Amino acid sequence: MIVKVNGLVKRYDKLVALDYLDLEVQEGEIFGLLGPNGSGKTTAINCILSLLKYDKGTIEIFGKPMGPDAYKIKKDIGIIMQNVAVFDELTVYENISYFCSLYIKNKAEVKKLTNEAIEFVSLEDFKNFYPKKLSGGLLRRLNIACGIVHKPKLIILDEPTVAVDPQSRNKILEGIRKLNEEGATVIYTSHYMEEVEQLCTNIAIIDKGKVIAKGTKDELKAMISIGEIITIEAYRLEEAKLVQLKELPNIYSVDYKDNQLVVKSGCGKNNLVPVLQYLSDNNIHFGRVITELPTLNDVFLEITGKELRD
Amino acid sequence: MIFQLYKARLKCLFRNKEGMFWSYMFPLLLATCFFFAFNNLWTIESFETISIAYDNEGAGIDPLKEALAEAKMSDGTPIFSITYTGKENAGKLLEDDESQAYIVGSSDPVLYVKQNGMNETIIKSFLDSYRQISFSVHTILKENPEAINQGLMKDVMQFDNFIDEIKDGKKPDAVLIYFYALMAYTCIFAANWGLEEVVNIQADLSNRGARVNVSPIHKMKLFLCNMLAAFTAHSGSLILLFLYMYYVIKVDFGNNLIYTLITCLVGSLTGLALGATVGIWVKKKAEVKEAILTLFVLGGGFLSGMMIADMKYIIAEKAPLLAYINPVNLVSDALYSLYYYDTYERFGQNILILCIITVFLGVLSYIGLRRKSYASI
Repeated sequence: MIVKVNGLVKRYDKLVALDYLDLEVQEGEIFGLLGPNGSGKTTAINCILSLLKYDKGTIEIFGKPMGPDAYKIKKDIGIIMQNVAVFDELTVYENISYFCSLYIKNKAEVKKLTNEAIEFVSLEDFKNFYPKKLSGGLLRRLNIACGIVHKPKLIILDEPTVAVDPQSRNKILEGIRKLNEEGATVIYTSHYMEEVEQLCTNIAIIDKGKVIAKGTKDELKAMISIGEIITIEAYRLEEAKLVQLKELPNIYSVDYKDNQLVVKSGCGKNNLVPVLQYLSDNNIHFGRVITELPTLNDVFLEITGKELRD
Repeated sequence: MIFQLYKARLKCLFRNKEGMFWSYMFPLLLATCFFFAFNNLWTIESFETISIAYDNEGAGIDPLKEALAEAKMSDGTPIFSITYTGKENAGKLLEDDESQAYIVGSSDPVLYVKQNGMNETIIKSFLDSYRQISFSVHTILKENPEAINQGLMKDVMQFDNFIDEIKDGKKPDAVLIYFYALMAYTCIFAANWGLEEVVNIQADLSNRGARVNVSPIHKMKLFLCNMLAAFTAHSGSLILLFLYMYYVIKVDFGNNLIYTLITCLVGSLTGLALGATVGIWVKKKAEVKEAILTLFVLGGGFLSGMMIADMKYIIAEKAPLLAYINPVNLVSDALYSLYYYDTYERFGQNILILCIITVFLGVLSYIGLRRKSYASI
């Protein structure tokens, strides 16, 4: 176990930011902490890193209690904050080298690691640039390089792709995957469900400071009743037909509006065929058909009754 | 590792254009402005013999004429260069700026001047003194004629050293107060650098601070390293200002330049500690902290005579405690003590108080920095 958080409580006066939060991160995984803005993700990360005091609970990293003086533990942690944390007066190279020097004593080693980090985030052409001259995406890449330059065993990324263009976002996600392949355990917080779904091997969904669901993405999706969402462009569908449609096997919700028929079916296979068969048998004309598997947003929606981005 | 971090901080500080301007350029500009603003005062203080015209037509025996001719500085320089002439010509000389005044000698002499100024004031003061002494002489002669034989008259009529230096060739110099206050202000301006270093190290004040707090480096070690870099960079600004004042503007810092530099460096440390303390303990936004420091440093400069030299004396008289706890005043007063006094008693007192303030603020900063986790960030 790389990180173990047990019964973590953090209050700001009357506001409960973390409400007996439990987390377990296994070695070698990319652990996603997913939740809407204000759900407590960053607070949880800050508590894990001992930046924030907390009211109750225990935190262990690498099997040892984490605290502000746990320098041996800190040596193996890399943090990439939501906000870019670099010096405007230092160049790309100097910034990375500075943050590497906080971890590594040997000058030659610092130089080697700095060059490797620059190469890793593909900033070779910008190493003498000052941060103010970099675009938002390049700045994020610099921020990442500063966090991973010392080759940490545990990397914590707190919403690293906020306000990043799609190209840079893909580059960042690719980089995280590569770091994980090289052996680092990753904790990734985001409110972008697509990213978490795409990247993470294990996911905890957090809301109001509490883990409301956890598991792999498939396990999470299996928790909800929806198995498939079928959207069909259909014409002149009467209320009675909708009732009959709903009575088909494995269908638990039917909705018809603006010539769009949305059928939600439970888990299982071949849900589409009976629906199309019914429409055909009843001479209901239909056009485009789209089928979707449920997303993490659907999981969140079903558990909390609200959208992930609310 | 620490040296690399120190070097990087130095780079940051020297590349910060705004910080460089306020620490390096602004004091130089202000010193230059002071120099031009007070240049006239300084010119007057380097005294030169005053040209006057003297009309004694019909005055008969004229002791004033003799007194004017005998008036000298302590180094023997005559105070007045006198042209004896008629009233009409005296007026012409005054008109043509060939003399700065003319005097019509009589038992009640009359002074004519073209404008107001230091030299005109000296002539008027001389005549006032003369009138007062003449009155004394008449009184003595009337009431105790024996005094003539006792040499009293000679003492009374002494016009040597009318304008004299007060102590060891140094005059109390109001202009110097402005320059010393400027130097002191620049020292305590280090507070802004102290604040900057705290911001970079505290997780609740900056993202960089948060990143530093997550790293395995001991916070106090990094803080001292950063403060040392700030002290190095700020000392540079003080040395530059000192060299500019000493060699270009020719500000007199007295004879002990080493002590002058020590004063400046101690002042810089006080400033750094002040900035760190405000940064750590004032729980407000960075802008509010900066405003507090600006108010403190500028206010301190004002109270120590940077804008109005007399303010220094007013505070010393009306609110002496304020003078003792105002670091800008302590530095400025230490510099003035070095210039003016032979002994180091007052200088030592100022430096001691500065050191006590610095240690006190340092301890406060240490206590604040020891906190390792934050209630909120």
